[in-house]
Amino acid sequence: MVKRRDFIKMAGAAGLGLSAAGWSMLAAADGVAAPVAVGVPTNTGIKGRVVVIGGGMAGATVAKYLRIWGGTGVDVTLIERDSAYSSNIMSNLVLNGSRTMSSLQYGYGNLTSRYGVKMVKGDVATIDPVGRSVTLASGTRYAYDRLVVAPGVDFDILPGLETAAAQAKVPHAWKAGPQTTALRNMITAMPNGGVFVMSIPGKPYRCPPGPYERACVVADWLKKNRPGSKVIVLDANPGITAEVHSFTDAFNVVHAGVIEYQPNVTINSVDATNMTVNTSIGNIHGNVLNLIPPHRAGKVIAANGLADSGGKWTSVDVLSYEAKVAPGIHVIGDASATTQPKAGHIANQEAKVCADAILRLFSGRALDPSPHTNSACYSPITFETASWLTANFAYDPVTKTMQPVAPSSGEAAARSKDNFEEMNKWFTALMGDSFA
Amino acid sequence: MNQSRIIRGLVLALAAAPAFAQTTPPSGRLLASNCFQCHGTNGKGGVETLAGKSASEIVKELKEMQGKATPKMMDMHARGYTDAEIALIANYFAAQR
Ligand SMILES: Cc1cc2nc3c(=O)[nH]c(=O)nc-3n(C[C@H](O)[C@H](O)[C@H](O)COP(=O)(O)OP(=O)(O)OC[C@H]3O[C@@H](n4cnc5c(N)ncnc54)[C@H](O)[C@@H]3O)c2cc1C
Repeated sequence: MVKRRDFIKMAGAAGLGLSAAGWSMLAAADGVAAPVAVGVPTNTGIKGRVVVIGGGMAGATVAKYLRIWGGTGVDVTLIERDSAYSSNIMSNLVLNGSRTMSSLQYGYGNLTSRYGVKMVKGDVATIDPVGRSVTLASGTRYAYDRLVVAPGVDFDILPGLETAAAQAKVPHAWKAGPQTTALRNMITAMPNGGVFVMSIPGKPYRCPPGPYERACVVADWLKKNRPGSKVIVLDANPGITAEVHSFTDAFNVVHAGVIEYQPNVTINSVDATNMTVNTSIGNIHGNVLNLIPPHRAGKVIAANGLADSGGKWTSVDVLSYEAKVAPGIHVIGDASATTQPKAGHIANQEAKVCADAILRLFSGRALDPSPHTNSACYSPITFETASWLTANFAYDPVTKTMQPVAPSSGEAAARSKDNFEEMNKWFTALMGDSFA
Repeated sequence: MNQSRIIRGLVLALAAAPAFAQTTPPSGRLLASNCFQCHGTNGKGGVETLAGKSASEIVKELKEMQGKATPKMMDMHARGYTDAEIALIANYFAAQR
């Protein structure tokens, strides 16, 4: 059997994503069954044209499910600016050298060959909600009956980081890609006794446990490889926002003396030349600065008048994810404002609720009145142990929001190696459900 | 009343439901799709294939998980469903081939 590490080298060479054989090998390496292609039915009687903007966790999933549930009468065009998707999930493990960015690439070949999704590589600039069409930066126009917008997030620019040169010196690496690799290289260039400074924006930001997980994996690597080093965590929130039990233990026990956690910190400005952050608790200098700026929905949202929630996100009806301000336009994943976390696992499920709703709307049926969604997240605490967090959400007709069903929401009692293995299985299965 | 009897009743009632027009989404499909992230699309692949398992077995396992003293992730997740929802999910997977 191919070991994960060896396989990842091979997959990396493939670059633009995995073939069926590639998926089988990856799945075998993680101890799960390979994703199975399901058919696209020809006889559902449902007809309609859907354009999807953004082929991330939400957009890839909605495109696939519109076809396997809606059938060949549902014409689906997925417009994505990149030629392959780089998974954010697991990208913190690039920072400690246990994964590579090339192993986290997922191509769109399966969506086309297995499910008949029409892929367009391009950047959507404008949406015409009256004429029901979208126009790419290149000028090409695509008409739709219903539009799904799934652009993920964009980042605010911290004062002092206005230039590309300053941004390159202070990567956030909160969108997996070249910045992730750059940050890994900065970490390995740290001296013994060095200081890694990271910041966490106020809620809502994507992947609530993610920044704490990052602090842990970086601390774990530094402890073994750059003795005497420190990780300073500057949190804009009043306390740890997710997996409080696991991360309190990680900061105070597992990585005690390495991680220094500071809640309620405001960043005033950044000096990229002197590698210093000016904050509400004073000036802080680091060998590496990894500041995660506040987020908002991908820019196509605000640029097209869809940012009705705080000027940043889109308010939606969670029975269909249709935008409150724009009939016919559905917004899923990180870009919408809901009571659910901004996370990939739940983006996948929001996509299924949205696909089901669009197909019902096409066939003149009522929406499912009681959808569930669920969030599941494993967080590495060290090289080989992880914790987890999960919640099962149900529609609450009184508040018209998704609410966690109380007994189903919680975190792992303790970090463990078993959790770490389960994490690899979960990740491969999840990416298979969205991209294979 | 005995809970498992209610579930069994529901399972039978749903199994006997007449075929709907094809534009009708199969009952339980959207709910069961919450399982696909880990158990594969349509319950095929992933950590454990659920497609084609008997409905009563799925119901039994989910009920056991709901009662686990130190819940693992799936045990916790199972607690988010009512008995009626569990029956819908179980029937959906039992009908997958
Ligand atoms: C370090 C890290 C770790 C994480 N770990 C987890 C985890 O363990 N579990 C979990 O559930 N979540 C995790 N997340 C969160 C998860 O990655 C996001 O919540 C998820 O990707 C959101 O999906 P999305 O489809 O909304 O956006 P994305 O996945 O970001 O996809 C958006 C896509 O839209 C494209 N796009 C944007 N605008 C346009 C346009 N105008 N035209 C064309 N294409 C466009 C982008 O190129 C991109 O491919 C993590 C995130 C980070 C940063």
